[in-house]
Amino acid sequence: MIGNDIVDLKEAKLKSNWQRPRFLEKLFTQKEQQFIYNSDNAFLMVWRLWSIKEAAYKLYTQLNPSRFYNPKQFECDMNSLDYIVRYKDFQCFVKTKISTQYILSEARLVSCEMISDCIEIPNNFSKIQSSIMTSYVLNAISNAFSITKEQLKIVKSEFGIPQIYQNSKKINISISISHHGNYGAYAICDLVSSSAVERSLI
Amino acid sequence: MTNDQLITKLKAIIAPYVQDEAAFATLNETTDFVKDLKINSANLVDIILDIEDEFDIRLENEDMEKMLDVKAAIDIINTKLAS
Repeated sequence: MIGNDIVDLKEAKLKSNWQRPRFLEKLFTQKEQQFIYNSDNAFLMVWRLWSIKEAAYKLYTQLNPSRFYNPKQFECDMNSLDYIVRYKDFQCFVKTKISTQYILSEARLVSCEMISDCIEIPNNFSKIQSSIMTSYVLNAISNAFSITKEQLKIVKSEFGIPQIYQNSKKINISISISHHGNYGAYAICDLVSSSAVERSLI
Repeated sequence: MTNDQLITKLKAIIAPYVQDEAAFATLNETTDFVKDLKINSANLVDIILDIEDEFDIRLENEDMEKMLDVKAAIDIINTKLAS
């Protein structure tokens, strides 16, 4: 199982204001607020932690189908390599990649290989962005698993969690899709064996 | 405050974050912030803070957790205003 999240830094600067009163207290624990205040670039740390929490939440809801908004309870902790996120008795590992344009986070339960990519997409209607991302994901799955694209379909569950269907049968591939501003990202992992998977972005 | 008045105030708060104007035009109690209005999850916190400011209330974690659609927002605001 995997979860991902992308933050377009330009969009975050434009559409959100992390310095508004009570913003940090609503989303971040005391410990995370310390990470933010102690960091050289508070803006980057805010959005890094946010995307880590989102990626972890998306992984959690694949395992426990549900929807809720409680980012503060997904607490980030850092070990030497990855961030560890804990929520109740759930725990996962998150890696992030920071470029000058975006922050990408990918959450895993255990170390597993995945196919992932980040794409520049037009920043307009959410529906168009979703269909562009769907096309990228289906192409990637088609290539990696040698299934013709026409047989593949993404179906969202009642909780908005995307699942892959081949013809009308659900198949054992976990996917996560995220888009924000001018960027879209996907992550794909084979739940049966990760051997078919060739590359990972992070 | 009636639910209609509340929805009018809520619409003004939500408007800047909406990414699906067609769904916004037909907003009702069942409208979902993320699924229908395509509001980015990073902006849900802004809606919560705006609601706190507009109604002079404070929302706790348990309140925020359910804040996914118009009905939940109305219920939470009414509960807070009554207490």
